[in-house]
Amino acid sequence: MIEINRLQKNFGKKRAVDIEGYVIEQGDMLGLVGNNGAGKTTLFRLMLDLLQADRGNVTINGIDVCKSEDWKQFTGAFIDDGFLIDYLTPEEYFYFIGKMYGLKKEEVDERLLPFERFMNHEVIGQKKFIRNFSAGNKQKIGIISAMLHHPQLLILDEPFNFLDPSSQSIIKHLLKKYNEEHHATILISSHNLNHTVDICPRIALLENGTIIRDIQNENNSAEKELEDYFNARVEEEIEEEERTETETATEAEGIAETDAATESAESPCAATRAEEPVAQESAAQTDKNGKEA
Amino acid sequence: MNLFLELRKHGKLAEKRHPMYEKGKFGKFWMYFMGIFWAGYLIFFGTLFAFAFDGGAKEAYHVMNSGLIFVLALDFLLRLPFLKTPTQEVKPYLLLPIKRNRLIDFLLLRSALSSFNLLWLFLFVPFAIITVTKFYGIWGVFTYCVGIWLLILFNNYWYLLCRTLMDERIWWFLLPVAVYGGIAAALFLPDKSPLFAWSIDLGEGFITGDWLTFAGMLVAIAVMCLINRSIMQKLVYNELNKLEDTTVQVKRVSEYKFLDRYGEIGEYIRLELKLLLRNKVCRKSLYSITALVLILSLTISFSDIYDGGMRDFFMLYNYIIFGILFLSPLMSYEGNYIDGLMSRKESIYALLRAKYILYSLALIIPFALMIPGMITGKVSALMCTAWLLFIPGAVYCCMFQLAVYNNKTLDLNTKISSRQNVGTGMQNLISGAAFGVPLLLFFVLKTVFGKETAPWILIGIGIAFIATSKWWLRNVYCRFMKRRYKNLEGFHDSRQK
Repeated sequence: MIEINRLQKNFGKKRAVDIEGYVIEQGDMLGLVGNNGAGKTTLFRLMLDLLQADRGNVTINGIDVCKSEDWKQFTGAFIDDGFLIDYLTPEEYFYFIGKMYGLKKEEVDERLLPFERFMNHEVIGQKKFIRNFSAGNKQKIGIISAMLHHPQLLILDEPFNFLDPSSQSIIKHLLKKYNEEHHATILISSHNLNHTVDICPRIALLENGTIIRDIQNENNSAEKELEDYFNARVEEEIEEEERTETETATEAEGIAETDAATESAESPCAATRAEEPVAQESAAQTDKNGKEA
Repeated sequence: MNLFLELRKHGKLAEKRHPMYEKGKFGKFWMYFMGIFWAGYLIFFGTLFAFAFDGGAKEAYHVMNSGLIFVLALDFLLRLPFLKTPTQEVKPYLLLPIKRNRLIDFLLLRSALSSFNLLWLFLFVPFAIITVTKFYGIWGVFTYCVGIWLLILFNNYWYLLCRTLMDERIWWFLLPVAVYGGIAAALFLPDKSPLFAWSIDLGEGFITGDWLTFAGMLVAIAVMCLINRSIMQKLVYNELNKLEDTTVQVKRVSEYKFLDRYGEIGEYIRLELKLLLRNKVCRKSLYSITALVLILSLTISFSDIYDGGMRDFFMLYNYIIFGILFLSPLMSYEGNYIDGLMSRKESIYALLRAKYILYSLALIIPFALMIPGMITGKVSALMCTAWLLFIPGAVYCCMFQLAVYNNKTLDLNTKISSRQNVGTGMQNLISGAAFGVPLLLFFVLKTVFGKETAPWILIGIGIAFIATSKWWLRNVYCRFMKRRYKNLEGFHDSRQK
């Protein structure tokens, strides 16, 4: 369904996305995980032709996304508020989206039924413009609007963000069901490893714009691998920091001792005086490092 | 003082590091050009007035001082498109261990020290050097200019007060209207207005360095500053609360059901109507322009004020103003939700067509308002028809080209006090041309072919463009799609967070 070929995107000197080749099959449910700045949203924007690639391309069902708009007919996406027309009420927005895909009002109403529990009586019939909804409800409106026309490809960036725990649980269930019933390809990015592992049989781990691991997740088997990866990274970073701090402190002490020795060679009383400023300097250095870290 | 310097630095950095700063090179050039132009213009008039007012019954500076109130009114108007109030600027600092009053004081002080307040000195310094020096020497020039600066400072705070209040409730615009209207009435209704004499005395007080005048001026500034301070203190809460308000309910949701039968285009026309009527910025513009068009139409129809060449100008103005106002920022309002539009096939083309149809139909309003003028014989029905067809034809074709180049998102509900929705250089240029070129063309046609034939030629051109509108709108859409990455980047960068 989706083919990524030698895709590259740079922001200044930073390489945001660099994927040599990656294929996502029809009906796949893929979770995209990675730390902040790993390139998840950029990759989605490239897939949706909202950003220009510096090299390579993305094809959906064989259509190069930047050369034709035909893929839009069977794709639904929600990345952020920039997708919502916030001066409409949710109903108006859903009807508008429906009309764009040739759906009648009655059909839209019918397609909204499965989302009733997800909306929790807080979205429909509120007589409010979208701009006056809370972040969580805006997120719900965005997700529903992306699924309304039953797309064959659904792309959701951080769908669990802003949602309360119950809604997170419901959307997980809805996505899984949608994938099974429509045999649709679903791509979600998330920082929530538990949710991703719960619903995605395949998980791509992104680091510095590159897919470094393509994990098959059967019965939550990916959970440990992902936890190990993220925990190891944090531990590595802390260790490195501590090592740098120790090295700096040792260096400073070394300099102080050399100075003191030189001074004491010149005057026997100078050694005691020399210790004080060096100790202060060393403390200041540690403090600076601490802050910078 | 450190805090003041920090705030000043942040203000400058906010402008300098705005993502659109580097992109609006033409706008930047235009800004500097206009700055130099105005400085030169004021120096020219300062010198001109000095010689023109000389040799009369009154000293030149007395004549100038009698018009100080007009300078203040003009200064007020000049500030409208440029300056913002500090109310919204305080937000990032509210949770820091800084006293709120101190913060507002510093922002008010920063506004007083703004270089904008020195603009009028370009007029008064050359004027004073020529007229004041001979009687009061350089010291007189110095005290006069300091006095004028203080007067402008007072006006600065008066403007801030009005603007902050207008930002809360648009009806506060009646305050400056009432004040300036009252002053105008006090100046012109009595045979010998005491206000002129007072204005002359004030100016003379500055020139002679009268300490009472200066003390009075300083007290007035301090009072105005304190009023601003207390109002801003209260409004900071309103500002914060409004941003988080999730309880606002709509009284009546308009459906415009008659548009259902027009399919996708009808849906986008509905969207455009909702854009115009549900967003503060668009709604205000729409109402004020409709009121202006109504006033102008009535004036043209029932008075002799615009007899002569001015009538043609205002007639065209009546027709073109809707287009300029809503088509020059074409796609800029949509920048707020452009990602959503772009993720649906050809939705931008449908949107462009809907806009074209709606704003062409909107021209029926000025046409209808001109009917009394046609009946009273002030305007010809043929000329009204000519503009009715020429504008949605040729003029709109030019204005729709902006859809390809506009890439700055305009906030739909920005408060007057927040970042400005100022147009780009390209928008200003095309808007200017949309005004000037048709008028020029009409005069050329009138001169060459005569008064009777000229409207028919305009009608012919208009119909040709209207008939080919689908084709040139498709062309605009294709060029928009070619530039989409650049435009999307611009829309994202300029979107208000």
